[in-house]
Amino acid sequence: MPPKLPSPWVYLPPPFLLPRRLLSTTPKRSIQSHYPPRPDRFNHSPSLPILNSTPSAALARKAYTLPLRTGALATKKGMTAIYDAATGKRTPCTVLQLDRVQVVSHKTRRQHGYFAVQIGAGWKHPDNVTRPLLGHFAEHGVSPKRHVVEFRVRDESGLPAVGAVIGAGWFREGQFVDARANSRGMGFAGGMKRWGFSGQPASHGNSLTHRAMGSAGASQGSGSRVLPGKKMAGRMGGEQVTMQNLKVLKVDEANGLVVVNGSVSGPKGCIVKIQDAVKKPWPEILPNEAAAEAARATA
Amino acid sequence: MQVASANTVPGYDPIKGMQRIKTYPPPPSARAVCKDPIAALTTAQLTTLDPQGARAKLFSKENPEAAKVGDILLVRLKNGDDFAGVCMNIRRRGIDTAILLRGNLTRVGVEMWYKVYSPNVDGIEVVQRREKRARRARLYYLRKPKHDVGSVENVVRQYQRQRAMLRSADVRSRDANSNKKKSNKKGKK
Repeated sequence: MPPKLPSPWVYLPPPFLLPRRLLSTTPKRSIQSHYPPRPDRFNHSPSLPILNSTPSAALARKAYTLPLRTGALATKKGMTAIYDAATGKRTPCTVLQLDRVQVVSHKTRRQHGYFAVQIGAGWKHPDNVTRPLLGHFAEHGVSPKRHVVEFRVRDESGLPAVGAVIGAGWFREGQFVDARANSRGMGFAGGMKRWGFSGQPASHGNSLTHRAMGSAGASQGSGSRVLPGKKMAGRMGGEQVTMQNLKVLKVDEANGLVVVNGSVSGPKGCIVKIQDAVKKPWPEILPNEAAAEAARATA
Repeated sequence: MQVASANTVPGYDPIKGMQRIKTYPPPPSARAVCKDPIAALTTAQLTTLDPQGARAKLFSKENPEAAKVGDILLVRLKNGDDFAGVCMNIRRRGIDTAILLRGNLTRVGVEMWYKVYSPNVDGIEVVQRREKRARRARLYYLRKPKHDVGSVENVVRQYQRQRAMLRSADVRSRDANSNKKKSNKKGKK
C-alpha cells in the first residue's frame, strides 16, 4: 500500500482563487547571498576578520577601479593621422563619432545592488523594436535606441539625469580613455594565425605539412593525453577587446567626434564603449564645469 | 510586486486591443551633421599644413601641371637635407598622401617614401617631367636594371644651375638702377 501523505493542517483554495500577493514569486534581483553572514555576539569582534561576502564589501572591493562617471557609445569611423606643425611629428589616431547618445536609465544599489548608467545610442525605427523594449524606452522618456549598454560607476554621484544627452564634450583633450569593442572575427583560424606557431619548412621534402600544428604534446610522460588548454586551431576574433590608456587627441563637439591616439579594435562602423581610463587619475571636473555640463546635457 | 495580468499589461485594452506605445523623438544627430568625419579632419588639418593649397595642387589629379608618376622630383626637408629621385608611386590617402622616390645615395639605389603634407617636408619641386605619360600608375619595373634610371644627380644639378641663372638674371633685372643702365652715357633717365 502506498504511504499516506500527511494532510495539511489548512486546506487552501485552488491557485487561481488565491490573492495575487501570496502567489507572486518574482524574485527581487540584486547581488544577494542566500545565506548572508549575520553579525552576532560571536562573530563580531575586532580580532576576527572582516566579513567579505556582503554587498558592502563587494562594492568596496571595486570602489578603487570603478570610474566616477559614465562613459559613452561611439562608432569607429576609421583611422587617420594628426601632424604637429611645430615638431613635425605624425601621430596615428582613430576617429570615433558619438551619435544620439542618451542616458536611458539607472541601476542603483537599492534596487539592483550596484550603480550603473544605461546608455543608448543611435535610433531604431519603432516598428522594428519589440513592445517590451518600446515600453522600457517610453517609461524613461527616450527614443528607441539601436544600441543599449551599461556603464558601471562607483556611486550615486556618477548617475546623470535620465534623458541627458552625452556629447563629445563629455571627454577632454588630453585625458585618457579605455576603448572597448568587439574585434574583427577571423573565423576558424589555424595555429599559425591564432597562436603564432612557426609551421614547417616550405621545401626540403616537406609533404603537405607547411602550416600544420605539428606535435600536440609529449607522450606517456605528459599524462598520455593532450593537456587541457592546448593551443590549437579554432575560432579567432569576434570578442571584446579593451584598449587601455588611449589619449584623447581632439574633441569636436559640433560633429560629435572624439579622436583617440592609436588603434581601436573592430572594423569601421563598429560600436565602441569609451570610458575614463581606470589606470590613470580620474579627469578633474570642476564644480562649475560639471554644472555647465549638466545644464547642456539636460538641454 | 504584482504579476501583470491581461487587464494590467500597459497599453492593452481588452475591447480595443493592443494600443500604440508612445515613442519620443530622438535628439539631434551628429552623424547627419558630419557624414564624413575623416574628410572633415583632413580639411581642418590642411588649413594649417597647406594654407595656399599649393602642395595639394601639385599632386591633384585635375591639375595638368601636377607632378606625375615618372617625373624626377626633389624633396627638401626642414632640417636642410634633400633627396631627389624618380617618382614611382603617388599614394593618395587624404592627409597621409605620400610619394615614393627612387634615387641614389652614395651610388646605392634607394627608395624613400615622403608624406606630402608633413611639416618636415619643406618643399617639393619637379626637376624633370617625363616626356610621355607613364602607362601604369606604379612604376615598380624601374627596380629592374634594364629600366633603372640610376643616379638623377646630373639632372638635378643641371636644373639647379638653370634655376640659379634665372634667379640671378631676375635679380639683376630687378635692380634699382636697371632702367638707367642702358643709356647712361649722357645721364639720361
